[in-house]
Amino acid sequence: MIAIRERRPATRPGLVRVSAIGFGLLAGLAWGQVLAGGDSGAGDLFRGDTWTRAGEFAGELLGLGAEGESAFVDGALWQNAIGLSVETLAMSVLAAGIAGAAALVSFLPAARNVAYGELGGSRRAVGVPGYMVLRLLFAFTRGVPELVWALIIVFVFSPGVLAGALALAVHNYGILGKLAAEVVENMDTRPARALRGAGANNFQMVLYGVLPQALPHLLTYLLYRWEVIIRTTVVVGFVAAGGLGREFRLQMSYLHYDEVALLLICYLALVIGVDLVSAGLRRLAR
Amino acid sequence: MRAVPRAPRIEGRGLLTLLLIGAVGLSALSVPWGGDLVHPGGGSAVGSIVKALARVELSPEFLRITAYAAWTTLRFAVAGVTLALAIGLPLGVVASGVLTRSGGRKTASIVVARFVLALLRSIHELVWAWLFVVAIGLSPMAVILALALPYAGILGRVFADALIDVPEEPLRALRSAGASEIKLLVYGRLTIALPDMLGYGFYRFECAIRSAAIFSFVGVQGLGYQIQLSLDDLLWNEVWTLLIALAALVLLVDAWSSQVRRRLVS
Amino acid sequence: MTHLADTPIIRVENAAKAYSGRLAIAPLSFTVAEGEKVAVLGPSGSGKTTLLHLTAGIIHPDSGTVELGGHATSELGAGGESASLVGAIHQQYDLVGHLSVVHNVLAGRLGRWGLLRSLWSLLSPQDLGLAEDALERVGLLERLYERTSRLSGGEQQRVAIARLLVQDPRVIVADEPVASLDPARARDLLILLSSVASDAGKTLVASLHSTELATEFFDRAIGLRDGLVVFDLPVMELDRGILDDLYHLEVAG
Repeated sequence: MIAIRERRPATRPGLVRVSAIGFGLLAGLAWGQVLAGGDSGAGDLFRGDTWTRAGEFAGELLGLGAEGESAFVDGALWQNAIGLSVETLAMSVLAAGIAGAAALVSFLPAARNVAYGELGGSRRAVGVPGYMVLRLLFAFTRGVPELVWALIIVFVFSPGVLAGALALAVHNYGILGKLAAEVVENMDTRPARALRGAGANNFQMVLYGVLPQALPHLLTYLLYRWEVIIRTTVVVGFVAAGGLGREFRLQMSYLHYDEVALLLICYLALVIGVDLVSAGLRRLAR
Repeated sequence: MRAVPRAPRIEGRGLLTLLLIGAVGLSALSVPWGGDLVHPGGGSAVGSIVKALARVELSPEFLRITAYAAWTTLRFAVAGVTLALAIGLPLGVVASGVLTRSGGRKTASIVVARFVLALLRSIHELVWAWLFVVAIGLSPMAVILALALPYAGILGRVFADALIDVPEEPLRALRSAGASEIKLLVYGRLTIALPDMLGYGFYRFECAIRSAAIFSFVGVQGLGYQIQLSLDDLLWNEVWTLLIALAALVLLVDAWSSQVRRRLVS
Repeated sequence: MTHLADTPIIRVENAAKAYSGRLAIAPLSFTVAEGEKVAVLGPSGSGKTTLLHLTAGIIHPDSGTVELGGHATSELGAGGESASLVGAIHQQYDLVGHLSVVHNVLAGRLGRWGLLRSLWSLLSPQDLGLAEDALERVGLLERLYERTSRLSGGEQQRVAIARLLVQDPRVIVADEPVASLDPARARDLLILLSSVASDAGKTLVASLHSTELATEFFDRAIGLRDGLVVFDLPVMELDRGILDDLYHLEVAG
């Protein structure tokens, strides 16, 4: 008995087309409002003195024309900067660790197939509300940017490495949790269900049938997030007063642009370093 | 006596896990554990923050402020992303090298394009923002550019990789039908890579909303600006409203994105 | 292990199963004595998989009963009791590819292990001797610590049989166990499966496409078509006419 599926007559425009038009409209509105307002700054870009000012600024970054010594030759400044870089690195590792651990303990009940009992076994009433609460928690923690979390956390914790790490961890927890739960949802569950036939209970089924596949993915996602975290650590440190970020703020307030450039170089080195290490570790994980 | 293979020592992944746990432990050492880790008023702060959740600010005037701030943030995000696309896509096409024929000029163009993209995305958007604000002063364009440039770097790289990763077979058919490289690009590579690119583009849009909210802390209107105002006065119930609005905005875009991608795949 | 000689190990009585309103298995009944080897034959869509899953207790009948060793499958929970009665092997995807062979084989013991022991075994395999014996029996001892996904299809099926050896059920239910294998390997696998069953007096119920394999390795054949039993005969009595009736293509109305 072969049923031929009829193409539904296209009475409603496809979602894709509507979305494209909708987005185009949004873009038009957005740019319209930007350019129509006289103070958009768009004109400023092309003014001559803007470029002179920008040029002067670049010069100050490089330490030219400053009174006294350029920051680049000051050994003590470099030492300080390197120490702060280590602190920043520690903040990023701590943040990734906390986020990863928290996601590890909560991603399973947040997977639809686990929570709804589709993996076989009893459909426990606890599963569904737990699933919803967790998904909402993920959405909320990842919707709010790290910087905002940092601003809030400094009301509770003293500014420093821990405050910064916590702010980063909260935000990334939502991201990792969602990604990990989706891995479980997209997984082929037949091997896990076959374990049931071998006599496994729910826990054993998850332990042998779900985790071996999910954990490597979680690890890879964590390492990818680390690359993002190290970039944001500097920014969070600005607010939460830790690591390079704190020093950035200080030097910017003194208008010591060449020291800022020094810190920027350390920042770039950190970012590139973490990218390389993360790539290497990811290869180990696969 | 049968030959039983020996059990392997801790393999790659076990080693990695131990390494990571060790790294986290080490980094925890850099925290000055002690009495003044928590603010003196920290405990009560937590209390008032949590209690305020029950009294989330829902008055009409405040909701109007929130809605307008959300709309402003959305506008900045859209403007930033569209500019990022305008810069990043062409750069991405060059960086992928799909339009150029092999040879010295091709390698050079690819290297240059990739370098520019890497430079653009290595610098955090807030650092860009600071650079622009100091250079041209605080204005909407400064913020939009600060968002667009790093995003262009990211989008361009992802775009380039997506174009390169298109499998050969469908392209071969087009090529033997006599398609030029440009037509190959448009009809072949783009159509195949589109779902992934669109998915990533939407994800970037979601990130742009967060970035725009952050930028608005600096003084440009938006959700961030409002959060700063409410934080300054310790009005936690207002802060919750704004946070929920921000999270809801991000969630909406996320939902929109998954719907569109699902339609594209089916 | 005493059992009454006249109590069938499998008893299916008026069992029926429907999916989305369509009857996959019409009410049917049969019994299987311990130690028998039964082949289930029939065209695609005849309900073979449903019948085997009912026999293995993986699904329960909508009406009627399926009894294993005297217990109704709907009353046997998952866990050690059911696992020692019946074990299943499918065409593919029984094994966890990400785990090494030893863990997949030892999974047969999960019904008897507590949670802590199951966890500890992942780091230091428990009851290792059982796994070694089982793998040696199927001829794959040297692959003990390899990642299961690296093995070929035929080798993975043999690992699945090794798991069954460790699990040691009284009944083995096999759903198209050789459908993904080439003829030579299919024969080898059935030789193994059949001898594993005979050695321990286990009951074997398997669905197959090939009537030659059924005649060679099984005692009895049940023919299924559109959810109904068309025949239930010793394999010696199968002939061309009976098989043609089973498999003939009906022109769609």
